[in-house]
Amino acid sequence: MINRLKYFFGTLTGRLLKSALLWSVAALAVGGLLLSLVFKSYVLNDVDNRLNMLIDSMVGVSELSPDGVLRFSRPLSDQRFMTPESGQYWQISEEGQEPFRSRSLWDFELTPDVSHRSFSLKYYEGQGPADQILRIAERDSILPESDRIFHFQVATNMAEVHAAIAEFNWLLLSALALIMLTVTMSLVLQVSYGLRPLRKLGKSLSAIRAGRANRIEGDWPQDLQPLAGEINALMEQNEQLVDRARTHVGNLAHALKTPLSVIQNDVEGADDERSTRIKTQSRLIREHVDHHLKRARIAGGGSGAGLPIKDRLEKIIKAVSVSTREKNVAYSLDCADDCRFDGEKEDFDEVLGNLIDNAGKWANSRVQVTVKTLSDTPRRPMIELSVTDDGPGVPAEDIDTLFERGKRLDERVPGTGLGLAIVRDIVEMYGGQARLAHAPSGGLMAVLILPAK
Amino acid sequence: MRILLVEDDESLSAQIEQSLLDAGYAVDVTGDGEDGHFMGDTEPYDAVILDLGLPVMDGRSILKKWRADGREMPVLVLTARDSWTDKVEGLDAGADDYLTKPFIVEELLARLRALIRRAAGQASPEMECGPVLLDTRNGKVTVSGRSIKLTAQEFKLLSYLMHHPGKVVSRTELTEHIYDQDFDRDSNTIEVFVNRIRKKLDTSIIHTVRGLGYRLEWSEENS
Repeated sequence: MINRLKYFFGTLTGRLLKSALLWSVAALAVGGLLLSLVFKSYVLNDVDNRLNMLIDSMVGVSELSPDGVLRFSRPLSDQRFMTPESGQYWQISEEGQEPFRSRSLWDFELTPDVSHRSFSLKYYEGQGPADQILRIAERDSILPESDRIFHFQVATNMAEVHAAIAEFNWLLLSALALIMLTVTMSLVLQVSYGLRPLRKLGKSLSAIRAGRANRIEGDWPQDLQPLAGEINALMEQNEQLVDRARTHVGNLAHALKTPLSVIQNDVEGADDERSTRIKTQSRLIREHVDHHLKRARIAGGGSGAGLPIKDRLEKIIKAVSVSTREKNVAYSLDCADDCRFDGEKEDFDEVLGNLIDNAGKWANSRVQVTVKTLSDTPRRPMIELSVTDDGPGVPAEDIDTLFERGKRLDERVPGTGLGLAIVRDIVEMYGGQARLAHAPSGGLMAVLILPAK
Repeated sequence: MRILLVEDDESLSAQIEQSLLDAGYAVDVTGDGEDGHFMGDTEPYDAVILDLGLPVMDGRSILKKWRADGREMPVLVLTARDSWTDKVEGLDAGADDYLTKPFIVEELLARLRALIRRAAGQASPEMECGPVLLDTRNGKVTVSGRSIKLTAQEFKLLSYLMHHPGKVVSRTELTEHIYDQDFDRDSNTIEVFVNRIRKKLDTSIIHTVRGLGYRLEWSEENS
């Protein structure tokens, strides 16, 4: 899990998301903190203002009765002062006297600090009835027409205020979380939208690798255009390198063959130990040369316009029939005129040449080549080619192993046994399929599926 | 039978030439494409062995030019390029058969015999004219089962006539087909050879067509 996360944040999407998220989380956190602080101070300020006003109105309605007892000229409007432990309290104390308290205080008494006089307002937090935490405002005041100093106190339960602050914080947090979620989602969308050309570029590259395209084509955003251009240039360079390597391999192999002919002919007919050894070794050289030459030749790429199959098959059949002239094998071809193979001529020749030649070698009298266009293939159009002979066929247990390199069931028929292996290699290079089956007529049927154009 | 061999590798060329001579062919050899084309264009060869990778003018172009000019002699193509594309295109250019290097000369000779035979319209490797039987595979001649010993020149002459039965063959044509180009030709020797062959075969299948040449034919009345 951790590794996967590490991997994700290592990707381009991950990196973009990571940096963007880091910033937005930081910004939201700072903003949220500020908001919360501002709200708290505003609420506390509000509480203090209210307490201030209450104290003012308390002082305002306070008067001394003729017998010197403090009383309110009219009751305070807030009913909560009448309800016990309601959270709103007042108390007026005079040194040496029983304090005058709101009914809500019930049997609780605020502890007035009368030790030093202060006519200015003072706020602090203190203990209240029923374990309430109170915000207390107090100041001393001299009532008019007397010289007695009274200590006025008003208090309110902070639980409500704290609850309000907590509620606000919770709301704020949910809102921020929601914002965070939306931001994350839009970031993901944005990043994936922004990176879409890159993914398209990746797809173009894999299409090239799969042989469905030669170059990266189409319009790219300005900042990707140089990359696409560079990739195309690289492809071109690569093709030239491969071409050169292929040409060199070909030249080397071909150059070896003529001297090899001379050597083989020199020892042909002699059967002393030395000649036999030379024969064996030169045959081995030949097989290696053939093997690598054929593999070097596989191009495995799509061709621009596609190869018209019918004409090519006719030519291949003409070439194959040269080696079966003495046998009178009839070759028949069933192929639509507009069938095209999406690939190189050399590869097509190699595959069909080998298969038809093989069929011709084994056939009694007939070889049938049939080409069909497959309509219900996913992704890309395909063609199915089948080559059927009326020869002896092969045993069921051998039919799967025939495509292996160097496999030959009958050593009497000429051939190095490389033919079918190269057929399989080429077909796989094109993402096609090759299989062998029993023909209804008893012979062997080779079925190929190759990309069509 | 006169063969043109166009091959630029000297060792291989020498090997093939020797084997062809041993098998009783008259052989002209060149290692140059342009020379090869000219010789094939002007001399009447019974078959051409043509290497595709030649200097100056490549084998496929030579072949295409010959065919375009109506030269129909059988051509056996030699090549180191053994891809099917090379094969298909070589045969498409007008080759009659195709042999990839490395090869054994025996294989080449067998293919060559078959080519010459087919070009002459003969289906079997054993050619027959009355009691006379010529096996192209081993160069043996028998008359009613009796083995006949012929010299190289005699064999060449009889073989050419056997490949063209019933057709009048002039002395010039015989000269052209049994001697290579460097041979000091004298058409009178042909007459000497024919007479010797007639004597050895002890049966009259070679008829003289006055003023024109010879014709190979077997009829019961003649015997």
